Amino acid sequence: MRIRAAAAAALASASVLSVGWLVGVPAVESLRSTLTTTLSSSASAEATTTTASGPGTSSAATTTPETTAPAAEAPAATEVTGTFDGSAVQTRFGPMQVSVTIDNGTITEVTPLQLTNDDQKSVMISNRAAPILRDEVLSAQSASVANVSGATYTTQGYLQSLQAALDAAQF
Amino acid sequence: MSIDTRTTQRHHRSAPAPLVRPDYRQRMRLADTLQVLCIVSVALVVALFLDDGGAARFATPADALTSIGVLAGLVGTDLLLIMMLLAARLPAIDRAFGHDSAMALHQSLGKPALYLILAHAVLLIVGYSLAGRVSVFAEVWRMLTVLPDMVLAFVGLGLLVLVVVSSIVIVRHRLPYEVWHIVHLLSYVAVLASLPHQLTVGALLAAGSPQWFYWLALYVGVAGSILVFRFIVPVVRSLRARLRVEGVDRVADGVVSIRLSGHNLRRLQAHSGQFFIWRFWTPGLWWQAHPFSLSAAPTGTSLRITVRSLGDASAALGGLRRGTRVSVEGPYGLFTDRARTSPRLVLVAAGIGVAPIRSLLETATFLPGQATVILRSHTVGDSYLADELAELCRARGAEFRIIAGKRPPGVNSWLPAEALAARVSLKTLVPHLRDADVYVCGPRRWTDEVVRDARAAGLPTRQIHCERFDW
Amino acid sequence: MRHSSSVVSGVCAGHPAITVESMGTVISIRIGAAAGNAGSPHDEAPRAAARQAVADVFRGWNDRFSLYREGSELSRVNRGELRLTQAGSELRDCYALALAWRDRTDGVFTPHRADGAIDLSGIVKSLAIAHAGEALHGLGLRDWSLNAGGDILVAGDQTPGLDWAAAIVDPLDRSARLASVPLRAPLRAVATSGSAERGEHIWTTVDGALSPFRQVTVFGRDIVTADVLATAIIAGGRPALHRSTETFPIEVLAVLRDGSLLATPGLRADSA
Repeated sequence: MRIRAAAAAALASASVLSVGWLVGVPAVESLRSTLTTTLSSSASAEATTTTASGPGTSSAATTTPETTAPAAEAPAATEVTGTFDGSAVQTRFGPMQVSVTIDNGTITEVTPLQLTNDDQKSVMISNRAAPILRDEVLSAQSASVANVSGATYTTQGYLQSLQAALDAAQF
Repeated sequence: MSIDTRTTQRHHRSAPAPLVRPDYRQRMRLADTLQVLCIVSVALVVALFLDDGGAARFATPADALTSIGVLAGLVGTDLLLIMMLLAARLPAIDRAFGHDSAMALHQSLGKPALYLILAHAVLLIVGYSLAGRVSVFAEVWRMLTVLPDMVLAFVGLGLLVLVVVSSIVIVRHRLPYEVWHIVHLLSYVAVLASLPHQLTVGALLAAGSPQWFYWLALYVGVAGSILVFRFIVPVVRSLRARLRVEGVDRVADGVVSIRLSGHNLRRLQAHSGQFFIWRFWTPGLWWQAHPFSLSAAPTGTSLRITVRSLGDASAALGGLRRGTRVSVEGPYGLFTDRARTSPRLVLVAAGIGVAPIRSLLETATFLPGQATVILRSHTVGDSYLADELAELCRARGAEFRIIAGKRPPGVNSWLPAEALAARVSLKTLVPHLRDADVYVCGPRRWTDEVVRDARAAGLPTRQIHCERFDW
Repeated sequence: MRHSSSVVSGVCAGHPAITVESMGTVISIRIGAAAGNAGSPHDEAPRAAARQAVADVFRGWNDRFSLYREGSELSRVNRGELRLTQAGSELRDCYALALAWRDRTDGVFTPHRADGAIDLSGIVKSLAIAHAGEALHGLGLRDWSLNAGGDILVAGDQTPGLDWAAAIVDPLDRSARLASVPLRAPLRAVATSGSAERGEHIWTTVDGALSPFRQVTVFGRDIVTADVLATAIIAGGRPALHRSTETFPIEVLAVLRDGSLLATPGLRADSA
């Protein structure tokens, strides 16, 4: 190769590689930025904050798509509190989407919603059902339970069911 | 065993200085551009990887392995596509480098491309098994059964291995040329078979993305070029030219000149010194294709080649009948007057390499007294077309020398032992060598020696031209 | 629900649940006391209004889609008296939704019965529950729970200590509970399918064999998803279980034939 050609090739390759690098580096960062933009644009529309009746503990407000809660006065973006779904981001295997819990502007938890594994399938990270012993299963304060779920009972079966007992209790 | 140093030049009245073709710069610019494009194409596929955020994927060993594997696959496929383009007989490549140099590069890229693709397969299998914490065999099984198009990809890899193995020198010489050629064509199948998995597995070339478009454009471009220039153009040219064997003349024992006639051969745009790939349509010869150089300047209605009719392959050439149909691919080759950069000319030939030299001598640009033709042979009498060369030299005022003698044993030289002992070299044979273009054609090792001599005399490579036929 | 302490202290007198009979089962409604509910939950008027709204919703769905009623729109379609293209948009939307879920569960859940009839009961009950929830919402109620024969939907602003919680019945001992799970947003729906149950809406079984699961409870973000997936997992067995947990944001507690349990990580006692 002539020197001229070698120099031109080196220069062109270097610029191509650096462009690729620059475009690629933010790809991992883009998740945060899409979330931030999602937050600031949706904060005014959807976020509601409720104050607990308890002493000054901050509460995390929830936005659920089903509830059409009337919008309280829109909090400033930095004071946003809530759980938001980020937009899907392309990764080497496919789309990835997470749900993020924000507490007063700081991300406190990131939950994966969908991740495409190398099978090209969406995978909930580590959400497999695994064997569990009865005493390992979650048991909240049983006194607070108002509803029982089991195989559907008929009207007849209701009378003998746990639910009937709970329904009769005065909460 | 003598060195014939008779000079046969005559002085003619001075003619206006012929214009040495000035398209050298243009040709070099084209060559530079093609080379830059080649290298940038490799940089581009690496950039595809980086663009996808690949630079960040080297955190864990498994990730690093898979990332390197992906890179190896990208670069290896790019090299394969370049190889296919080199063999596609593109006019631009022939004009810039000559078909033989292109094929030399094609050959040298073969093993690196295969190693990269093998590395791609191995690294990805190992990387995925590490990431998924399964054994390598389980991972291969998973790839074959779960991932789309992987069976085809493995088939493509197998074919590629077969093609490269069959092209290793040892194996290639054992196979008849036609068998080797058919195996080699399987490389098209190998590349096509691996395309689906490149598009469907992993999200680097996700459908609809710019990377996907670029990748497909590469494939379409290469496929289109091959289809047009490797297949369609030669067929159309042959059909139009309607070449037929006009006659076969015996030149020496086992050497014949074949004259061909055709229609409107100017359309072929052939130049002295170029070669075609010939196919003679007789029952014994139709399945073979031979590269032969023109041994006379092409005219609008006739072509001539001079060939050795030894060995089973070429023996039948001596018995070609008049009227036999001939089809050609070409013309190819940079061994022409268009490659000239200097006013003087030196033509060096040995054996059957005299053919293109003979045609060059007919039409090359030079003033009387400014060209030298050197013919190397074992004995004075056993060089082919020597009388034609002598006649042309007489007519055009070129110097004609025959250097006869056996090769010196144990020493690499293009000259016979006595010449070597007398310290003869190109420089002593041609005093104004620095102002000359040197064209060499003959057996490979011998040609290399002549080139070495010319380089030692200080000639830059642009003034040295040689034609290789060993691809 | 409030802590038991507030019940004991008797600061607010409690009330039993509101019950409605419909679709062959009993629907239990509870209205919570969190701020945001219009009025106090103990007023009679809002309770009656809530009961009426839910009853109306369920009756409407039952009239249209019950296969037990000869005059229902779906029965008429199945008999051929009414063409699907001439049926109301609600029925067609419902059918389309059922088909969409058929695709998502790879055919394990399907509205098509073996005899060619369309049976939408698998989806209708959960749609009715969801619709009833919206009706409650329309009444200004923000904190409530609906339990229709074991399928539960709740709404309520999440405040520690005020979560609605659901218990899961042990199929081997119907008086015992396997788990008590606080329904923390966004998982606000619970559905349980049992193979010993009515089973009318589980038509396809993988390989025609009995399901490996005796009971499957799915916690999801909406009641339709939870109900469909509970049905699909029972019918589809382990492959369906793993596919569902990998693809949808759900928690699952499955009881195998021998009584042992499978659970997703969110149902472990040591999870936050």
